[in-house]
Amino acid sequence: MKAAASASPARLVSPRFKYEVAARPGGQAIKACFGCGVCTAGCPVAEVDGAYNPRRIIRMVLLGLEEDVLTSDLIWLCTLCFTCYARCPQDVKFTDVMGVLRELAVERGYVHPSFPARLKAMDDLAQQLRLGAARALARDKAAAGPPDPGNLKRLFAEVGETT
Amino acid sequence: MSGGVTGAALVVGGGIAGMQAALDLAESGFYVYLVEKSPSIGGTMARLDKTFPTNDCAMCILSPKLVECGRHLNIETLTGSEVLDIAGEPGNFTVRVRRRPRYIDLARCTGCGDCEKECPVRLPNEYEGGLNLRKAIFRPFPQAYPNAFAIDKADRPLCQVSCPAGVHAQGYVALIAAGKFQEAVTLVKRDNPFPAVCGRVCHHPCEAACRRGLLDEPVAIRPLKRMIADYELEHAGEIALPECSAPRRERVAVVGSGPAGLTCAHYLALDGFPVTVFEALPVAGGMLTVGIPEYRLPRDILRAEIDQIARLGVEIRTGTALGRDFTLDDLAAGGYQAVFLAVGAHRDQKLGVPGEDVPGVVSGVEFLRQVNLGEPVTVGRQVLVIGGGNVAIDAARSSLRLGARSVTVVYRRSRGEMPAAAHEVAAAEEEGIEFRFLTAPAAVLGEGQAQGLRCLRMQLGEADASGRRRPVPVPGSDFTLEADQVIVAIGQTPDTAFAPPGMTDRWGNLAADPETLATARPGVFAGGDAVTGPATAVEAIAAGRRAAASIRRHLDGEIPIAARPVPAPAVGPVPWGEARAPRAAMPELDPVARRGDFREVELGLSQEAAMAEAGRCLDCGVCAECRECERVCQARAIVHDMAPEEVELKVGAVILCPGFATTAPEDLVPLGYGRHPNVVTSMEFERILSASGPYDGHVVRPSDRKVPRRIAFLQCIGSRDLRHGEGYCSSVCCMYALKEAVIAKEHSAEELAISIFYMDMRAYGKDFEHYLNRAQREYGVRLVRSRVEAVEAGGAPGDLTVHYAGEDGRPAREDFDLVVLSVGMRPEPAMVELVERLGISTDRHGFPRTPSGKPTCTSRPGILVAGPFAAPKDIPETVVEASAAAAEAGTVLASSRGELVRHKEYPLERAVANRPPRIGVFVCHCGINIGGVVRVKEVADFARGLPYVVHVEDNLYTCSQDTQDRIKQLIEEHDLNRVVVASCSPRTHEPLFQQSIREGGLNPYLFEMANIRDQCSWVHMHDPDAATAKSRDLLAMAVAKARHLEPLYRVPVPVTRAALVIGGGMAGLTATLAFARQGYPVGLVEREVELGGQARRLTRTLEGEDVPALVARTIEAVKTHPLVTVHTGSRVRNIEGFVGNFETLLATPEGEVAVRHGVVVVATGALPAVPSDTGYGTDPRVITQLELEEALAGGRVPEGDIVMIGCAGSRTPERPYCSRVCCSHMVKNALALKALDPRREVHVIHRDIRTYGLKEEQYREAREAGVIFYRYTEDDPPRVAAGEDGRREVTVTDDLLGMPVRIPAGLVVLASGIAPRPDARELAQALKVPLNADGFFLEAHAKLRPVDFATDGVFVAGLAHAPKTLSESMAQALAAVGRAATVIARDSIEAGGAVAEVREARCGGCRTCESVCQYSAIKLDPARGKAAVEKALCKGCGACAATCWCGAIVLRGFTEEQILAEVAALL
Repeated sequence: MKAAASASPARLVSPRFKYEVAARPGGQAIKACFGCGVCTAGCPVAEVDGAYNPRRIIRMVLLGLEEDVLTSDLIWLCTLCFTCYARCPQDVKFTDVMGVLRELAVERGYVHPSFPARLKAMDDLAQQLRLGAARALARDKAAAGPPDPGNLKRLFAEVGETT
Repeated sequence: MSGGVTGAALVVGGGIAGMQAALDLAESGFYVYLVEKSPSIGGTMARLDKTFPTNDCAMCILSPKLVECGRHLNIETLTGSEVLDIAGEPGNFTVRVRRRPRYIDLARCTGCGDCEKECPVRLPNEYEGGLNLRKAIFRPFPQAYPNAFAIDKADRPLCQVSCPAGVHAQGYVALIAAGKFQEAVTLVKRDNPFPAVCGRVCHHPCEAACRRGLLDEPVAIRPLKRMIADYELEHAGEIALPECSAPRRERVAVVGSGPAGLTCAHYLALDGFPVTVFEALPVAGGMLTVGIPEYRLPRDILRAEIDQIARLGVEIRTGTALGRDFTLDDLAAGGYQAVFLAVGAHRDQKLGVPGEDVPGVVSGVEFLRQVNLGEPVTVGRQVLVIGGGNVAIDAARSSLRLGARSVTVVYRRSRGEMPAAAHEVAAAEEEGIEFRFLTAPAAVLGEGQAQGLRCLRMQLGEADASGRRRPVPVPGSDFTLEADQVIVAIGQTPDTAFAPPGMTDRWGNLAADPETLATARPGVFAGGDAVTGPATAVEAIAAGRRAAASIRRHLDGEIPIAARPVPAPAVGPVPWGEARAPRAAMPELDPVARRGDFREVELGLSQEAAMAEAGRCLDCGVCAECRECERVCQARAIVHDMAPEEVELKVGAVILCPGFATTAPEDLVPLGYGRHPNVVTSMEFERILSASGPYDGHVVRPSDRKVPRRIAFLQCIGSRDLRHGEGYCSSVCCMYALKEAVIAKEHSAEELAISIFYMDMRAYGKDFEHYLNRAQREYGVRLVRSRVEAVEAGGAPGDLTVHYAGEDGRPAREDFDLVVLSVGMRPEPAMVELVERLGISTDRHGFPRTPSGKPTCTSRPGILVAGPFAAPKDIPETVVEASAAAAEAGTVLASSRGELVRHKEYPLERAVANRPPRIGVFVCHCGINIGGVVRVKEVADFARGLPYVVHVEDNLYTCSQDTQDRIKQLIEEHDLNRVVVASCSPRTHEPLFQQSIREGGLNPYLFEMANIRDQCSWVHMHDPDAATAKSRDLLAMAVAKARHLEPLYRVPVPVTRAALVIGGGMAGLTATLAFARQGYPVGLVEREVELGGQARRLTRTLEGEDVPALVARTIEAVKTHPLVTVHTGSRVRNIEGFVGNFETLLATPEGEVAVRHGVVVVATGALPAVPSDTGYGTDPRVITQLELEEALAGGRVPEGDIVMIGCAGSRTPERPYCSRVCCSHMVKNALALKALDPRREVHVIHRDIRTYGLKEEQYREAREAGVIFYRYTEDDPPRVAAGEDGRREVTVTDDLLGMPVRIPAGLVVLASGIAPRPDARELAQALKVPLNADGFFLEAHAKLRPVDFATDGVFVAGLAHAPKTLSESMAQALAAVGRAATVIARDSIEAGGAVAEVREARCGGCRTCESVCQYSAIKLDPARGKAAVEKALCKGCGACAATCWCGAIVLRGFTEEQILAEVAALL
């Protein structure tokens, strides 16, 4: 890791961005972060996507890597599950910080203004899919044997049609 | 009292701080009360395994202090005590203290441990972190002081409280669980002489109250009682008789031989009274005999228990009825001085319906009486029994056994209202008896013979007085039941026709006081059914027992008072986690076999079933009061009815040092604690590591005792955490985790991988950085910089998965065998409550606030604070604060020094010189501790044959007070001139025996001890022959040495009661002022022209104190104090002398000055380290933190953004230690810069932010203010280069982004650290004290003697000792004074005794001895060319004697002659 680090050109630190984030509702506590990594260790998104890293996002904000953060796809991956929020020993409230970053990304025109609404619709759909799938599973939760992926596919198809 | 000041102090908390403060004060001439809430002093340190950074065994270094503190004549230890209130002012406080009962007489308990072996109640052992169990009678740890046991007792358990007779149910249940059946039944009989009866027929309210019932089902208490009663009957043949008191003359008459009457007779007989019982019926037993059928209570069982009472000497006259055969006046005339009326309730109530008197209608009680007396009875084919009580059920079931075809019970209410016992009703149904509920008789049909019963159907209406719904007839519901016999069992009343008017109440019952049972007629008492109406056997028994007590008081001429009031029971929470276990089922006779058969239905529990059932008891009362301890304690030290007491203490000053609590368990739940047994706290892990711990020092994990191969330590648990715990840093966890890791590796024979998950490794103390480096490099401890998010069950059973953010930033999962949570410190909650009540100002965590410049003071004058109760801290700082608080207290108390201390007066010593040895030998049984293994009598007999032995005794406890008195007396009687004790450890007991023989007139050195407990009965526990043989050998050796013992004397050496302080910085100034305020003349030497030292360069502390004001104030106070002589611009030229007697030559501007003083404090300070490289000195834009602080103080605010670089010269190969203050210094200056201009950017580049303790809060403040922190490693340091516009640019690798970043800086500020003074070596040589490898002064012991040197009379404080903060320096300076005061508080010190002596003729002057003496006590006298010992400094360690080539050095008390005699005796 170290070798890779020294190979990349050094970035200039800029302080302004952290104040901007901290000035918005939800972003106030970002500066308290001491980089312990609890948010990342418990993050369900980070578990499936190694590039997604809450601690890293906070650090980039603190060091003023504004454009890198706001243009990144990563800020849209958060599922708002609040695990980091609940575990953070410094009460940084990262889920709220994420809201501020998305807001700024829209304001700065890095994404189309309709993007958050579409994301929300997708989240709702995902929730319904999950709900339907869970109900279907629950119907034969007594059934023995390993899960059959085919079943799950059929299930999603079924739920998809109804929504 | 001088000026009204009380010359005593209160120390709250008996941990290491409390012990140190108490010892310092007591040695400085003040009386000390040491209040400790637990049964022993010792505190948390007594639970630790090893201590960092020296890896000393905590207990080994602590236990001498325990003995010293515990035995000190002027320290009064109050254990089990808590302070309720402190009133008054400095010099004059009144303290209220509540002492919880220990239930042990401390004056009698010898700590032998016999009681502990017998105690049946097991509880989680809090000393061992709950990893194993201890008994309800316990001593927290073997080295505890007082060396005595304590009983852990809640209130009486609910089973006992609910029993009318107050039987100790938990007690006998516990004894049954332990298989002690006879002991159990004996315990029952203290309160109830009818265990076999009650074990069968009792309505057992104890079971209804049993809290196990909340969890699953109540413990089967009644069947258990039956089992032990039967056990006694079967095994003892007949019941063993308890011992009676001395016979009394007063005769007592008991009328009625039911349970009430016989119980009364039983207990009166035990008290020695002659008792006559008058019984109207032809047999004894009352309702037990004639009311209860045999299938429930076999006659032989009942007879055995009645016989036992008769065998106590109670005369039972049957067939003699009061009112028929004699009157109350006859009894008085017949010489009976007291009467107990217990005539019962045998008269049936009438049904009151037509036809009741036809043949075939009988009363229930009459019917049962006939059946039970074996009289001929007629039983119908179809039997109706009217009533719902136990009599009705007994009559019904008896009818069935006597041949009735059908039996029906008619009851006017429903099943739920039946007063009969539920299991009796169930048994009746099983046997085929029918029940007709809500049915009331209206008339008996038939003439000349009952033929049936006309009945009405009932329904339940409003509740009546008994709370049950009253049955009301349903109109027109008449119906008829056929029957040829009707048994009426609707209740009984007493027959009180004999009673004169005024002795009965309006229901015709006898009238008696409910508590004392006294009637209107003096000397006549009444109880049982005759008073209460029909009730249960155990209520009658209770009445009988109460009557016996009242009658005894009456005959003793006392007022018959009530028993002690029953307090509201206090029991702990139900242990919901306990595994569910069903109650043991009672085996019963098959229902079919019961017809026509009066054999007992219940068959009783087997012994095994009973033991298992008894094991279900939850021990609600903790101690079960089974009194086994009382039975086995040969010292008679157990006092079960001890009560709490309140005492009032008068003191002049108070020191609060109650220690700390650890992070609350609920805050540990997210990390698996409490869910996974292999997640343990660091305190628990200390015990796992400890050789005396629950696993005997084998590092195994709790769930399966498997040896772990992978251990994870999780840091900052409950610390630096606003969600689960507190925001501050607990100061000690990084180091103890490293220590535990290293020790675990040392303990482990196999490969053990240890990972520590941490955020900043805070190894900030003296020599800590070396320890950290060793842990990593030599022991291979892996450090992972990440906070753990969660701990879950791992892949294999018992394993754990740790969730954290890996080095690559991705979520990482790693499995471990064992997880240790490094829990943090909290102020002791009960004490926070107390200090707040006392009006002492605290911070938001509850830590008492200390005013500026007074590190141990609280907001309330005269009340001081020390240790982790003031803020999280390690042992050395705790000990420093304790001595500092003692010094502060000393200034309050100074005017009354010596006024309240006690001195021991001894008789003149007996002359022993040139007399043949006359040796007295005492061999100790130590209860069964030694005597249970070693054949003590045999050892004593052996001693009688040894030469010069003139008297030998074996004692139950040689250390008990009466034996001590006896030893003194025997010295006189037998003219003994040597004493040998064969018992336990000299470590704990030698001072006691030495003191005793001194009191008996013998020189204390004429004593020798053989340890036959540790070395014989303990280690050869299973081999009595070997243990006895070895005891003989050890005793022979001791006696052989004793022949050669000689008196040794400690001679007083006068003390110069003045001090010299070297160094005029804040440490030196603080020490100087404290000496002066305690009333001692003090000289202060400072090399500079100005006083103040390094503190002059500081503006504010991190906590915001105004340093220049503090410095100026202190200098002013020092300069103006009349007892202070200041020598500025001066140096120490030469120091001669030793403790109490130093003579120092100073070079001053006015010429040489000689100073005489008794003690020296070294406070010579340190220097700011000058950083190398990074451009300092060449680049004007690179400065140090001190320079920045000076610039800010001078109003010279630098321009632009600022980059601070930490560890610029610390933690490097050249200076391989942490300078402790720099991180805080950076945070402080960063905050100051931000306060001046929030838009200015401040960047801090560090290796670990070491803002330990409460300083962590300023670290957070700095982050919130916008200061950015970067972490670098030693091999990739930040680089400073020229940037744009003449600015600088610092490049550093950001460890979180994994890439280099460039930081523009107007100024680069280096945290350069602290370096020792190069001239320290010179002073160290003059004082003969050592420096450590880094060049700082090396104290006597890193943990427990942080301001002392091995050389007596010389102390150290401030930066000369190690880097530290201003406040820490000042505390250490005060501590040095606190310690020094123990020397100069007295006119003389004692020197000599068992010390080295030089035989000059043999000495070659080689100086080898000088080089090995740690205490600088021996050196070459240059004039004579011979070694000379300074007795005042010699500790008698023997190093010189062992090293001397020529055998010129003799260690008194261990001479060659003495040792060779021992060896000869062994061979």
